[in-house]
Amino acid sequence: MITVRHVSMVLPAGGRSITILDDLSLTIPMKQTVAVVGPSGSGKSTLLGLMAGLDRPTSGVIELDGTDITRLSESAMARFRREKVGYIFQSFHLIPTLTARDNVAVPLELRGDRDAADRATELLAAVGLADRVDHYPVQLSGGEQQRVAVARAFACRPPILLADEPTGNLDSATGAQVIQLLLTLHRDHGTTLVLVTHDPALAGFMERVVSLRDGRIESDSTPSSSWAIPLPPDPFP
Amino acid sequence: MMSFVLRMAWRETRAGWRRFGYFLTCIAVGVGALVAVSLFGAHVERAVNKEARSLLGGDLEIRLSRPIGPAGREVLDAVGERGIALRHVSELVAMAAALPPASEHGQPTQIVELKAVEPHYPLYGSVSVEPNQPLATLLRAAPCGSGAGAANSPNGMCHGAVVQESLLIRMGLTMGDRLTIGDASFVITGMIRTEPDRVANAFSLGPRVLISQDALQAARLVQTGSRIRERYLVRTPPTLQPEPLMYELRGRLKSENARVSVYRDAQPQLKQFLTQLTRYLGLIGLTALFIGGVGVATSVHAFIREKIATIAILKTLGADSATVIATYVTQALALGVTGSAAGVALGFSLQRALPPVIAALFDSDLLVQLGFAADLTAASLPPLAKGMALGVLATLLFVLWPLLGIREIKPAAVLRRDVADAQPAGENARRRRRPDRLTLATAGSIGLGLVGVSMWQAQSWRVGMLFIAAFLGAVLILAGGASVLLRGLRRSPRPAALVLKQAVGNVIRPGSQAIGMTMAIGVGVMVVVTVSLVERSLLTQVGDRRPADSPTFFFIDIQPDQKETFLRVVGDRLPDVAPELTPLVRSRLSAVKGEPVAPEALTEEEDRKEKDGEKEERRKRWYFTREYVLTFLSDLPKDNRVVAGEWWKPNQRFDRPLLSIEEEAARALGVTIGDSVAFDIQGTAITAEVSSIRQVEWGNFSTNFYMILSPGALDDAPVTYVGTVRVKPADEVRVQQAVVAVLPNVTAINVGDVLQTFATVLDRLSLAIRAVAVFCVLAGALVMGAALAATRYRRLYESVILKALGATRGAIARSFAAEYALLGALGGLIGCVLASLLSWALLAFVFDLPWALQPSVLAAGFIATIVLTVLVGFLSTYRILGHPPLAVLRHE
Repeated sequence: MITVRHVSMVLPAGGRSITILDDLSLTIPMKQTVAVVGPSGSGKSTLLGLMAGLDRPTSGVIELDGTDITRLSESAMARFRREKVGYIFQSFHLIPTLTARDNVAVPLELRGDRDAADRATELLAAVGLADRVDHYPVQLSGGEQQRVAVARAFACRPPILLADEPTGNLDSATGAQVIQLLLTLHRDHGTTLVLVTHDPALAGFMERVVSLRDGRIESDSTPSSSWAIPLPPDPFP
Repeated sequence: MMSFVLRMAWRETRAGWRRFGYFLTCIAVGVGALVAVSLFGAHVERAVNKEARSLLGGDLEIRLSRPIGPAGREVLDAVGERGIALRHVSELVAMAAALPPASEHGQPTQIVELKAVEPHYPLYGSVSVEPNQPLATLLRAAPCGSGAGAANSPNGMCHGAVVQESLLIRMGLTMGDRLTIGDASFVITGMIRTEPDRVANAFSLGPRVLISQDALQAARLVQTGSRIRERYLVRTPPTLQPEPLMYELRGRLKSENARVSVYRDAQPQLKQFLTQLTRYLGLIGLTALFIGGVGVATSVHAFIREKIATIAILKTLGADSATVIATYVTQALALGVTGSAAGVALGFSLQRALPPVIAALFDSDLLVQLGFAADLTAASLPPLAKGMALGVLATLLFVLWPLLGIREIKPAAVLRRDVADAQPAGENARRRRRPDRLTLATAGSIGLGLVGVSMWQAQSWRVGMLFIAAFLGAVLILAGGASVLLRGLRRSPRPAALVLKQAVGNVIRPGSQAIGMTMAIGVGVMVVVTVSLVERSLLTQVGDRRPADSPTFFFIDIQPDQKETFLRVVGDRLPDVAPELTPLVRSRLSAVKGEPVAPEALTEEEDRKEKDGEKEERRKRWYFTREYVLTFLSDLPKDNRVVAGEWWKPNQRFDRPLLSIEEEAARALGVTIGDSVAFDIQGTAITAEVSSIRQVEWGNFSTNFYMILSPGALDDAPVTYVGTVRVKPADEVRVQQAVVAVLPNVTAINVGDVLQTFATVLDRLSLAIRAVAVFCVLAGALVMGAALAATRYRRLYESVILKALGATRGAIARSFAAEYALLGALGGLIGCVLASLLSWALLAFVFDLPWALQPSVLAAGFIATIVLTVLVGFLSTYRILGHPPLAVLRHE
């Protein structure tokens, strides 16, 4: 369960302050797939970031799996994130100095896995990049980079995956591949999936759609039938 | 976790090693300077220790300042009968005169350092002479044959003399030519290259002349009260330890005032000089390392800025700050180890290159003579290990602070599109917030670490503290001065010309690293300019500032019965010159306030206590055991001021000898008005009562005394006279020649020549210091290069925009040049001001000399700094100028 209670986020900007999230509350049960939609500046990316503990809200409480992450120290938060949350960025954010395999291995190594490199190779094979393991990010296409990012986010098999416009920088074909990958993870591993998007088609694949405007929830709907996308068998070992 | 840290550090280094060029070089240069200095020091010391026996001339040396008396003679004879080898060596200065009077180029008379030896000298080591014949053969007396020499020598015999080449050059002589020294005639039979027991010949009064003991007798130079050093060199059989014999001889030769020393303690002055020189040169090397540390900090700071995105990603992936910091500390340490290893290699090769340079520079075979070896041995390990350790430690200390900024990087930084703008979090947030415990702890440990490193290098907590205080003070003043100047620049109106506007803008913009660069340049400038300023001041002091009435000549060893002759000879030649004659007697203290003075340790235990004593204690002891040249005078000498008691009145009658003592000596001996001081004057005792304490201006080039006795006190003592004469330069040779011709035993010391020698020694010494100081400048240049490299991308971007707007390459180059010149001017200005301050402090507190502004040195330093910064700036950025705009802008 992800619980967001009365969360506000106010950022200073040039002497004034901007309210990005305004007393927002939201509950997401485990194993649900949720799309957070809304126009630019509605606060959806900030909400996702706060759920991952990447920053601290100005006020309010966020609980993940029963832990109030707003009260964790920075180090404790980092360790918590390692186990519970995978995060996928619009612009991939692979570490440029590391190969694809090393990028995927980072969370495993942080956890102390001895076979991190082997695991990373398997994960890359699962996302269809078996022949790309020793490539650096600059040598990969956008779709490939994002698949590496998905493999990295899922490396520690976190119960929660947060994705910020995961297809925003991709063309529709490669975007579909990434969506397939995420939905497969949900189907086969029961991963809670929260993704931020402004693409109605993508939102349509989710069980629930939360719409934000000016830092508040404008609507929260559970469409009777989500769109179906043909999914391959589980590739993840 | 550890494995992640190691793996990540390795990956980061592998991906960006090119970026660390400046990092590595900064460390390597500092460590190189340190290692070269300490390795050379260690190798020289090893050579000195290995050659200790030949340096002393024996296992033991007995040293006296007058010919040995009958009682002492008996002791020595008894020693000889025990199967112990003994050689007698006498050393004194004397005048050599060419016979017949020399060719036009040479001077007819020359002061020489005479050394008379017995056959089978030396006991250890060897004398290297040309031609390659036994020394005894070369020194043998032979009939003079025809010519002037024969006429001059009483028995028609000429003694052999082996001389230093410089004597031949100065007197215009060649091998086989004749000389007179004292009453004896000599024929030059050989040239001397090295002698084992004369090493530190940096400061000598004249060329060496080696003769036999028989020849010295014939020359009749040794008269009552003559200035002479008598040495008896002892070789003990292998079965006999020399120390017990040393203590025995010290006891038995006490009445002779003999000094007995063992080879293990040989050349204490040489060793001390080497240690001190190595230590202070090492501190300059450490300065270079610290300046390099600023470059390391700059590089790391720039590196972390580039890595903000990566660090933020690592944090979103679940790495905490400690893990990330550990990663980059590990990386920095690995680089520090690599840089230090390169530095060690650099230092080693520099040290190997040193001996030929030193030989050429100092015109001396000293290192060859010592058997100096630059190769690696067990003795090289400590300096190498220390250089390595200092390099790694300095790296750690200088990277900690910039790496601490990692804590401030929030994972949310990846969320904001403008990652670059999120970065000031590091600097600004820390400045805004109250420092937390970790920040304080880090700052504290960096401070303590720097102090520790300094003390380690200085081998003394006091010197280490002074050094680090001076360094930090200089850095603070530089940073403060630079920020004041930059603020002034910011406030003042921008120049209208685009080139200058761009240059000033580049210097004063936030994040320009101008303060860091100014600091690094300034410290380098400060060190080098300080050395020049101090050297110039010392030279001015001893040369140009010589009082107008200071003497040109000291004529020493004038016997009482030669007084009249001396005055007549000088007066005949120069009627308007009034020579001054001052009586002298050599003595040692035998008792102070009734307490007998123990000249030297008589047992091992006393010896140990003496050596372990504090520096202050040893300095005090020196006042008790040194030789005092006494005089008696009726009038207070010029530049003397009575600070306690009173000078004797005219026509005062003395019922016992009274003593006027110099202030420092009185303090060290612990005597005051009314106390008694007893002297041993070559066997006879005199007890005097302290009646006044004087302050003496030692730098006035006149005859100055620690101890002056009341008139009549030395009537029965073996007095000689020193004559001081002031003549015009044109008359110098004439007077010297005339005196030597009539009074061959009298030695003329030309003050100008001595000062010249002093200036040469000073020059060489400051050259050595400056050579190490160059490393500081090099490190400063590297820091500047590192800082410019950190802004490389921004510069590239700006320059292509300017180009796109129509600026020519020349205009951009001029703007860069103006910027670098401005940086150089800032650093040079503050560095020169600091150098003036530091040189003032050194002159006032160390050398006790007045300070004067040296505009020429400062101007030269200032201009050289600007030239250097422009040069370094261009070397690190010229490639930017060639980039075509579109290629760069497309990447954007």
